[in-house]
Amino acid sequence: MNAVVTAVFWGAITLGVYAGARALHARRPRWWTSPMLATWTLCGGLIVALHTTYQDYLSGTQWLIFLLGPATVAFAIPIHRHRTLIRRHRVMLGVGVVTGCLLAIGSSWLLAGLFHLSPELRASLLPRSITTPFAMSTSSVLGGLPELTASFTAITGLFGAAIGELLLTYLPVRSAFARGALFGMGAHGAGVAKAREIGGEEGAVAGLIMVLAGLFTVIGVAVFSAWL
Amino acid sequence: MSSSLSTVPSTLISLATHPSSLRHNRWAQVAVLIAIWFASEMVRVRWHLPLPGSVIGFFLVWLLLETRALPAAWIERGADSLLNHLVLFFVPAMLALVGHPELLSFTGVKLLAAILVGTVIVMSGTALVVELGFLWSARRASR
Repeated sequence: MNAVVTAVFWGAITLGVYAGARALHARRPRWWTSPMLATWTLCGGLIVALHTTYQDYLSGTQWLIFLLGPATVAFAIPIHRHRTLIRRHRVMLGVGVVTGCLLAIGSSWLLAGLFHLSPELRASLLPRSITTPFAMSTSSVLGGLPELTASFTAITGLFGAAIGELLLTYLPVRSAFARGALFGMGAHGAGVAKAREIGGEEGAVAGLIMVLAGLFTVIGVAVFSAWL
Repeated sequence: MSSSLSTVPSTLISLATHPSSLRHNRWAQVAVLIAIWFASEMVRVRWHLPLPGSVIGFFLVWLLLETRALPAAWIERGADSLLNHLVLFFVPAMLALVGHPELLSFTGVKLLAAILVGTVIVMSGTALVVELGFLWSARRASR
């Protein structure tokens, strides 16, 4: 196939499947109709069925990945919107973010060592608990593969959002703040959506923790790698 | 098609003559965010900064918003649109998995196990520490 045709084809397929999945999810909001899961599996299935290489697929969709940059800049808006909440709870937000990030990186490091994963896979696994744009840029600094990190991060979000409520029935956690922190730190975007279903404060705290954890990890890793 | 194309120059003219009309135009706001990100990437390359350009852009916009140098209404529609479709921007990266058939093996199972166990640890640990901190600060406040 002509290179331009290939690029336009895969770009259109991705946008079309995504738009369809969003429309379906608006009618039937279930986890298995989530636009992420549907676009991932349907486009993935099509790539395999048509024997396309990832490079060919990327030729039509690379521009979408570039938009993660401006989207990261856009996180300044929700942070600005919740400035009073940040000021009022700055200590507890700080405690949650620092604890969560250390647990996330520490547990990934130890489990990757326990399972004898290659250094490349271990580095790709480390930033998986933070929101995808931050996780992908952290992964490349650590020597991982950002594209693999994107998948590990997505699995983390799907799983975390699915088991969050179950965990809350066992954990002695009563405050809306801690419940929001659980979702925002453990399951980033998917967790924030879940926390919003539980309550307004849970959702706001989860969203804040998610963005702050991303920033803290990116800055921490940058400082750490400059210092080494 | 021709009508949507002809709106581009008229939008640019209205933005140039009335900068406040930016507050109604989602697409122009997305373009502003792309421009800020691009400029931040150039700043990063020029001064060899260790942070990604997108994060430098984030701090720049946050600073401008907090100091009220930039009204939130000038970018918030565009920002909400980008964040609303965040999934669309990282799904193409997730599909890189099709180029890694070696992960359809025991390595993949171990990776999955590490993710699942790690996520339970992160969620439980974070929630418990924050809850303890909350109880501690509530007790201190009541004394």
